[in-house]
Amino acid sequence: MAPLELIIELVLMPLVAFIVGLMMVLMMRRIAAKLQRRVGPPFFQPLYDIVKLHGKRTQVSHGMIHDIGIVMAMGGYIAAETLLPVPGMNGIAEKGGIITLLYLMMIPSLGLALGVGQCANPNGSIGIARALTAMLAYDIPLVIVVFGVAYAAGTTNLVEIIATQQAGGFETWGAVQMPLLAIAGLIAMHASLGKQPFEIYIAPAEIATGPMVEMGGKYLGGLFVMQSFQLYTTSVLYVSLFLGGGTTWFDFLLKSFLVLAIPVSIAYLFPRYRTEDLLRLMWKWPVMLGLIGIAFVM
Amino acid sequence: MSSIKQIPVIEEKRTNPLARVFDELVRFCRSRSLFLLHYCTGCGAIELPPAMTSRFDMERLGIQPMVSPRQADILLITGYVSIKTLKRVILTYEQMGSPKYVIGICSCTVNGGMYWQSYATAKKLDEYMPVDLYIAGCMPRPEAVIEGLQQLMQRIKTGEAKGWEDYYRNYDYYLGNQQKLFGNDWQTPTDVITEAKHYDLLGEGTLGEHTALLEQHQQPLEALEMRLGHQVKEPAE
Amino acid sequence: MTLTLLDELLLFSGVTVLVALFLGRRLPAGWMVTILYGIQLLSLLKMAPLGYGGDPIPSTLILEVMGQTLSWRFDALSWYFALITLGSALLSSWYACGEWEQRFRQAGGNVWLFHLAMALNVFSMLILLASGDLLSLFIGWELVSWAGFLLMAMAGGVATRAAMRYITYAMVGAMAIFGGIALVYVSAGSLQYDAILTAVSQMGTPHLWMLVILFSAGFGIKMGLMPFHLWQAPAYAETPGPGSAFLGAISSRMGLFAILLVLVKLFGIVNIESLKIPFTLIDARDLLAWIAVFTIIFPTFTAMKQNDARELLAWHGIGQGGYMLLGLVVADAMGAAGGLLHVFNHATYQAALFMAVTAVIHRTGTSDLNKLGGLVVRMPLSFMVLLVGIIGLAGLPPMNGFVSKWLVYRSLLNEGMPLLFVAAVIGTLGTILSVYKLIHNIFLGQLRVEHEHIKEAPWSMMIPMLILAAIIFITGLLPGIPLAWVASVQEAVGLSVPNYTLGGVESASGSLDMIWVIGVLFAGFGIGALVFYSAGKSKRVHQLDNYAGGHFLTADIRYQYSDNFYAGLMHLIGGWYRGSFLWLEKSVKSLVEFLSLGMQGIYRRANAEFYLLSTALFVIAWVVI
Repeated sequence: MAPLELIIELVLMPLVAFIVGLMMVLMMRRIAAKLQRRVGPPFFQPLYDIVKLHGKRTQVSHGMIHDIGIVMAMGGYIAAETLLPVPGMNGIAEKGGIITLLYLMMIPSLGLALGVGQCANPNGSIGIARALTAMLAYDIPLVIVVFGVAYAAGTTNLVEIIATQQAGGFETWGAVQMPLLAIAGLIAMHASLGKQPFEIYIAPAEIATGPMVEMGGKYLGGLFVMQSFQLYTTSVLYVSLFLGGGTTWFDFLLKSFLVLAIPVSIAYLFPRYRTEDLLRLMWKWPVMLGLIGIAFVM
Repeated sequence: MSSIKQIPVIEEKRTNPLARVFDELVRFCRSRSLFLLHYCTGCGAIELPPAMTSRFDMERLGIQPMVSPRQADILLITGYVSIKTLKRVILTYEQMGSPKYVIGICSCTVNGGMYWQSYATAKKLDEYMPVDLYIAGCMPRPEAVIEGLQQLMQRIKTGEAKGWEDYYRNYDYYLGNQQKLFGNDWQTPTDVITEAKHYDLLGEGTLGEHTALLEQHQQPLEALEMRLGHQVKEPAE
Repeated sequence: MTLTLLDELLLFSGVTVLVALFLGRRLPAGWMVTILYGIQLLSLLKMAPLGYGGDPIPSTLILEVMGQTLSWRFDALSWYFALITLGSALLSSWYACGEWEQRFRQAGGNVWLFHLAMALNVFSMLILLASGDLLSLFIGWELVSWAGFLLMAMAGGVATRAAMRYITYAMVGAMAIFGGIALVYVSAGSLQYDAILTAVSQMGTPHLWMLVILFSAGFGIKMGLMPFHLWQAPAYAETPGPGSAFLGAISSRMGLFAILLVLVKLFGIVNIESLKIPFTLIDARDLLAWIAVFTIIFPTFTAMKQNDARELLAWHGIGQGGYMLLGLVVADAMGAAGGLLHVFNHATYQAALFMAVTAVIHRTGTSDLNKLGGLVVRMPLSFMVLLVGIIGLAGLPPMNGFVSKWLVYRSLLNEGMPLLFVAAVIGTLGTILSVYKLIHNIFLGQLRVEHEHIKEAPWSMMIPMLILAAIIFITGLLPGIPLAWVASVQEAVGLSVPNYTLGGVESASGSLDMIWVIGVLFAGFGIGALVFYSAGKSKRVHQLDNYAGGHFLTADIRYQYSDNFYAGLMHLIGGWYRGSFLWLEKSVKSLVEFLSLGMQGIYRRANAEFYLLSTALFVIAWVVI
């Protein structure tokens, strides 16, 4: 591949991810509004929020690590996007593979955790403690699912995983071949989004939005950017693993939005679990489904 | 409100047309994305849920409730403010990031309302912090709240809502009123004066006799700077 | 007689011990010993061709003891472990020889003994690594055990008790190994490796089973494998700071070295795999893999509950050993490379972590995680080192721990071992949780009033830490450097070698190129920083200017979350910590005590007729049968 072409891809992939991610945030808020019989925010609302937050006149910093944490939270996802193939662009997906991608997706959370830590607010620290606990909960089914898919495809290279699924049309999709893993993956993905009923680490009424408690202005803005990346990454990863990626941008985006709509529609109908209930739920059903799914694959 | 009128209009010294467009854009976004911190002290709070939920739906205007003062743009005070409460309200206000706006809902914030005769209630909120908008009534209906918020949005878009600048530029006045109520050793953990210096928001009224009094009583609040400390002398033991 | 390079190395090492022994009391021992370690490292580097597939270098010293030939030689395996040993010894000793040593002396510690113990450890480890047959291996093993005991016990008090526990375990292990060696001798008639290699191919299954159990138990005790892990954490945690950095980095890996030598090189993974456990689907290799996985999970989750930074790290040291063994027993090209690479990586970050924690203790006087907090503004460099270290320990990019763990995961994936894979990931997740607790409770959160005036650790301690942090990052960026050494180790013990590049591993089923991954990661950080810093300027505020629901925070009230850090998690899994292994250890101890009481009772009786009678009966029985 020509270096110039690669550079253009590396720039375009995060950019596309950001724009699609903003639209996903919008979709999420619109769905929530519809479920609550409201009108919901206007089309550009996610952008307004981010511009406003970055344009605040006074910004409260609790120290250098607070700043660096936000930079890591954004930068980690920007990097992760280049490992996630989209139609027509593979970026450096072949140089990392899915395990690396999963680990790169932990970098933003780690950065956020550091930044929140320096805020010296126990609400934030409790939030991070809970977020890490949630990660321990949903990552176990997630790695089972990833193992199953990678083992079935015989590779950790996402490009090849997508290619094998696209080879035989609908029948070779991961979701058709491995329905149990797909269900387990959906539950794990829902929990990884941190939406109700799994939003133990935001918990506005308990710990004052946990990690976000001391975040204002561009700090909160950075987290909004991170959220849009997170929605995009999670749903596109699911589409790549189970729904055959995308051959064209149209079906790629359609699938990504539809996949995301499932957990989001469920989310706003439920209150919040307690931490231990989340753990119990995650370690029971999706793990069981995933292990049975792997048994079928092997 | 009266004090707001007296703010000298400072012309933005931006001649670059692009920068103007940029400022315009930021102002527009500010007006269309307002995060709300409701400090619900009295009966006015009951009118907010309908304003947020399906009947009136604030979110279509880009207004969302938020949890901590750091995240919020609007401080919504709904009802009487007792002296004890007022301390917390001021702290909360000072912790918010500028530009920030204060909305007083119900008569109590305008003039004490039915608590006029109470010894423990602060009557006029705008003596202690700049209020951008009052929504009078006992209590105002959600329509009125929405109407008021829309007015505020309009004023933010045109750049009129500058109460927050007034707090920095006339800090001495507000501090004086606060000291009258809470005593001379009144101090919040926030440091408004250095903040005003840092963001270049010093005005003629920032420093004065009351801030001088504050400096006498103030416990130091310099941020803990990151340092290696190899040059720092050990404290005498 | 000309001295070979190995002779030179061992000579220098011996001289180091002598210098520490005779001159250490009067002269500044720390600096001298450090320089001598440097010289040893240089003479080791002269043997660098070993790391790239060179021929083994023998020692001229050959002894004949009771018809047995004792010989010493260095091959790629020895060289790789010796490099780690000497590197960590050099940096730990450098770390110790400045201000730390003065403080240690003021606090009543014996600096001379410390340096002597370190030098003895290094010397004995080199002898063990150089061993050319099973007998010299056993001699080296014993030397290492006792040298380790000296270093662990020297702090007195709790440390001595922990060291006594260690030496009890070590002696049991030594007995097992000795039994194994005796069995090997019986069947092979010699203790030379070549003779054993031929003998193994003719061994029956029960015989091989016996040997595998004896050797893996014996060496496993040193490694802290389940269920023999209990001694390690307290013993390492109570060793004086730089000593624990050294021990944590390499000491337990001697067990892995021996396992590699005996189980992998001499017995062969194929032979071990052929040992089926009847009525189950697993064989001895699976058994070892599962032991490795339990060694990952249980100590890691025990570490999460620790409230002392050193204990937390020491428990992780046990857990990470599991990854190495796991990679080795999977034994395909990638897995073995991952396991071996993890030895190097673990040594670098574990030493850095222990040093950073010791720096904190040096300045604050405590390692209690509930009594620290907010130190990042006062000790930013130590924070950075600890951060680099925990990223390595947790195995996240961009540090080196990620590469080795990635290799282990990949091998489990290739071999189709889902349960082991998931268990290994659970270990990693648990590690992330507990290292965040470590860095949060020490460096983040609220700075305590009593720590407002402390300073960054002195440069004599800082420079070794920074060097380690640099190594952790560079070998994460360019894992090809250590992978080259690992590849020659794999060749030396007869394993297949992965197709490595400077930036990682090439493979048909998914490759890794850390240069690209880290490149885009930092480019991402750059873009993030651009967005972040181009937005409005920010102002630092005091830590008391903080959201507390409108409450006015004051310096005398702690506003910090540190105790029972993962409360929600512990609600669920708290009850699963049963202390079963402690119970097991205690019951074995009581059993031994009871038996010894019984024996004592018999001897106390002093009844000549009884002894005579029983001896006579015994002799009659023996003759008749």
